[in-house]
Amino acid sequence: MAVIDTAPETAATHAATAVARIEPTGFAALLGTGDHKVIGRLYIATSLLLGAVVMLLGLLFSIEAVDTGSLSIFTKDTVFQFWTLLRVGGVFLLAFPLVIGVAMVVVPLQVGAKAIAFPRAAAASYWAFLLGAGLFLASYAINGGPGGGSNTGVNLWIASLGLIVVAILLAAVCLATTVFALRQTGLTMNRIPLYAWSVAVAAVMWLLTLPVLVGVLVLMYVDHRHGGSTFGDNASLFNHLDWVLRNPQVYVVAVPVLGFAADVLATTAKARIAPRFAAQGAIGAFGIFGFGAFLAGADAHDHKAWVVIALGVAALLPVLAILGLAGDLFRRGSFAFNPAVGYAVAGLLILLLTVAAGALGSFPGLETYGTIFDVGVSTGALLATLIASLGAITWWATKIGRQPVAKGPAAVAPVALLLGSAAIILPDLIAGLIGDGPPSTELSPSWVGGIEGVNVVAVVGVLLLLLGVVASLAAFVPIIRTPDQPAEADPWEGQSLEWLAPSPPPLDNFDIELPVVVSAEPLVDLREEK
Amino acid sequence: MAADAALAMPPAAAPTRPRVLLVGTALAAGASFMTVMGLIGIYLSRRADVISSGATWLPDKTQIPLTPGNLAFGTMLLSAVAVTWAVDAVGKDDRKMAYLALGLTLLFGLSVVNLTVFLYKISGLSVSTTPGLLFYAVTGTHLAMMFGGMAFLVVMTIRVLAGDYRGRDREGVVSAALFWYATVAAHAVIWLAIYITK
Repeated sequence: MAVIDTAPETAATHAATAVARIEPTGFAALLGTGDHKVIGRLYIATSLLLGAVVMLLGLLFSIEAVDTGSLSIFTKDTVFQFWTLLRVGGVFLLAFPLVIGVAMVVVPLQVGAKAIAFPRAAAASYWAFLLGAGLFLASYAINGGPGGGSNTGVNLWIASLGLIVVAILLAAVCLATTVFALRQTGLTMNRIPLYAWSVAVAAVMWLLTLPVLVGVLVLMYVDHRHGGSTFGDNASLFNHLDWVLRNPQVYVVAVPVLGFAADVLATTAKARIAPRFAAQGAIGAFGIFGFGAFLAGADAHDHKAWVVIALGVAALLPVLAILGLAGDLFRRGSFAFNPAVGYAVAGLLILLLTVAAGALGSFPGLETYGTIFDVGVSTGALLATLIASLGAITWWATKIGRQPVAKGPAAVAPVALLLGSAAIILPDLIAGLIGDGPPSTELSPSWVGGIEGVNVVAVVGVLLLLLGVVASLAAFVPIIRTPDQPAEADPWEGQSLEWLAPSPPPLDNFDIELPVVVSAEPLVDLREEK
Repeated sequence: MAADAALAMPPAAAPTRPRVLLVGTALAAGASFMTVMGLIGIYLSRRADVISSGATWLPDKTQIPLTPGNLAFGTMLLSAVAVTWAVDAVGKDDRKMAYLALGLTLLFGLSVVNLTVFLYKISGLSVSTTPGLLFYAVTGTHLAMMFGGMAFLVVMTIRVLAGDYRGRDREGVVSAALFWYATVAAHAVIWLAIYITK
C-alpha cells in the first residue's frame, strides 16, 4: 500500500457516506471544491483574465513611450497609478497565480499523490486571491493605489495586496507540503521530477521572503492610517515595495521556468538527466540567489551593493547550467520538435537574457539602479515565467484540460513570444544603460523620456507578445472541449508519474495502484521492464 | 493465557505517515517567523539610521521598561518547557499530565499577552511616530502569531481529549508545539532587539 492510501475501513465508510450524499453541481461544486485540479484551473483562468488587463496596460504604456516628450494617453495625475498597477499587477495578478495554477494541477500528479496537501487551504488560497485581486482593482477604481488621491483607496490597496500575498503564501504551504510529505513510495527527494522540485524550491523561497512583504504592508497600513509619518505620502509608498519587483527578488517567481524546461527537454530527448544532482542544485541555487528580502529595509541603492552584485552574477550560473544540461540531453538523446520544446527554449533564453542583464545592472558603476533598466530586468523575469507557464499548459494540456492543444497555433506562439519579449526588454535595457530612460521607481508625474527609436521597437515587441499570447490561447481552445474519445494518458512517452494518470485525471488522480519508484524516471523503468 | 495472546499480537501500528500536518506547520511557522524577523530588521535598520544621524531613537517621555519584557521572556521560556512536557505526556499516554501541560502552556501564553498589553499602557509611545509604529507592529505581529499558536494548541488539546492522539501517534500535538517553539524563538529575538537594545 502506498503511504498516502486511505485505510480500508475509512475508505469503506467514505464510500457508504458518498452513496447517501447528494453531490453538489455547478457553481456550488466549484465553490466547495477541494480538488487541486479544479483549483489550479481556476487560478490559471483568473490569472490569464487579470493578465489581459496588465498586458493591455503594458501596450498602452509602450505606445505612450513612443512620444518621449509628453503624455498623450495618460494624464499627469493618473500615470503613476497606472504605472504601479502595471508593475505590481504583472507580478501579483499574472505571474504568481499563473505559476501557482499550473503547479496546483501538476505537482500532486507528479509526486503520485491522490490529492494536494491541505485541500481546503488550497481552495481558501484561491478564493482569498480572487477577493484580494478584486479589491486591488477596486482600490484603483476609487482613486487609490500609490499616488492616488483617496486615502481610503490607498488603504484598500495596501490591505488587498496583503490579502493577495497571504493567499500566495497559503498556496505555497500546500504545494511545498505536497512535495515534501505526499510523495509516492520510493520517490525520494533526489528522484522527484525537476518541475516539482523547482516548485518546491520556489514555494520555500516565497515562504521565506514574502512574509517580509506582509510585514512591510502591515507597517505601511498602520502608518498610513495614522498620518504617514514613516512611509511618507501616498505616492512614496511604492518606493518601499520596489524590492519585490526588482532583481534578485523577482527571480523567485521564475524558478519553475528551469524545472519546466528541464522536464520537457529530458522527456523530449528521451534521455535521463545524467548529473541529476547538478540540475537540482542549479534550480535550488537559482532560488537561493533570488532571496531579496534583505532589501526590504534598505533605503536606497548604495549599501549592501556587494551582496546585490554577488547574487546578480551568481544567478547567471544556474541558468547556464540548465542550458548546458539541455544541450547534453540532446547530444545523448534524440530530438523531436513539439510545441512545448519551443516554449521551454524561449523561456530559458528570455530568462538567460534577464539574469545576464541583472548581473550587468548589479554593478553600481553602470548607474542603472532606479532607471528603466531595472524595469527591463523584472519584465524579463515575468515574461520568462509567462512563456514557461503557457508552455506548461501546452505540455500538461491533457491533465489540466480534456485533450491536447491545437498544434498549429502552439507551434507559432513560442516564436512570437520569444521575439516579442526580447523586443520589450532590450529597449528598456538600452535606455537604462545610456541613461536616457524614464526612472522606474522614483516619483515621476511627467512620465516621459527614453529613446524614441527603441521605444517603437518596444511597441512592436508588445504586439508580438500579444500575438503569441493570443496564439497560445487559440491553441488552448481544444483543452476545454469534451473530446469524442478520452485523450491519451501519456502522449509524450513521459518519464514521471503524472503520465500514469488518465487524461483528464479523476478526482483521486490515479485509477491504478502506482508502482514503487526506484529511479527518477519511473515510467522509463516500466517501459524498459516490458 | 492473556499474556501469551498479547505477546502473539502484531507490533503496534507505526506512527501515521506521511507527516503532512507537521511539514505544513513547519513551513507556516517559518513564514510567520520571517514576518516578525522582517519587521525587526526594519526596526533595527531605522533605529541605526536615526542614531547615526545623532538623534535619539525613542521620543521624550516614552519608555520601554525592562521588567515586563524580562518577565514576558521568562514566561515564554517556561511555556516552551510546558509544551515539551505536553508532547512527552501524550507520548507516554499520560492524559492527565498532557492536559495539565497544555493548560499551563496556554496560561503562560495569556500571561505574556497580559504583560505586553501592560507594556503598551505604560510605554507612552504613539503609533504616529516611527519608533512607536515599529514597536507596535513588531510586538503586535508577534501577538498575532501567539494567538495563532494558542488557537492551534486549543484545537490539539480538544483532539487529545477526544482521543485522536496517543503514544507515538501524536503528530498534531508535535505540530502545535513546533509552532509554539517558533513563537518563543521570535519572542527571544524581540526581547533582545527591542526590550534589551531598545
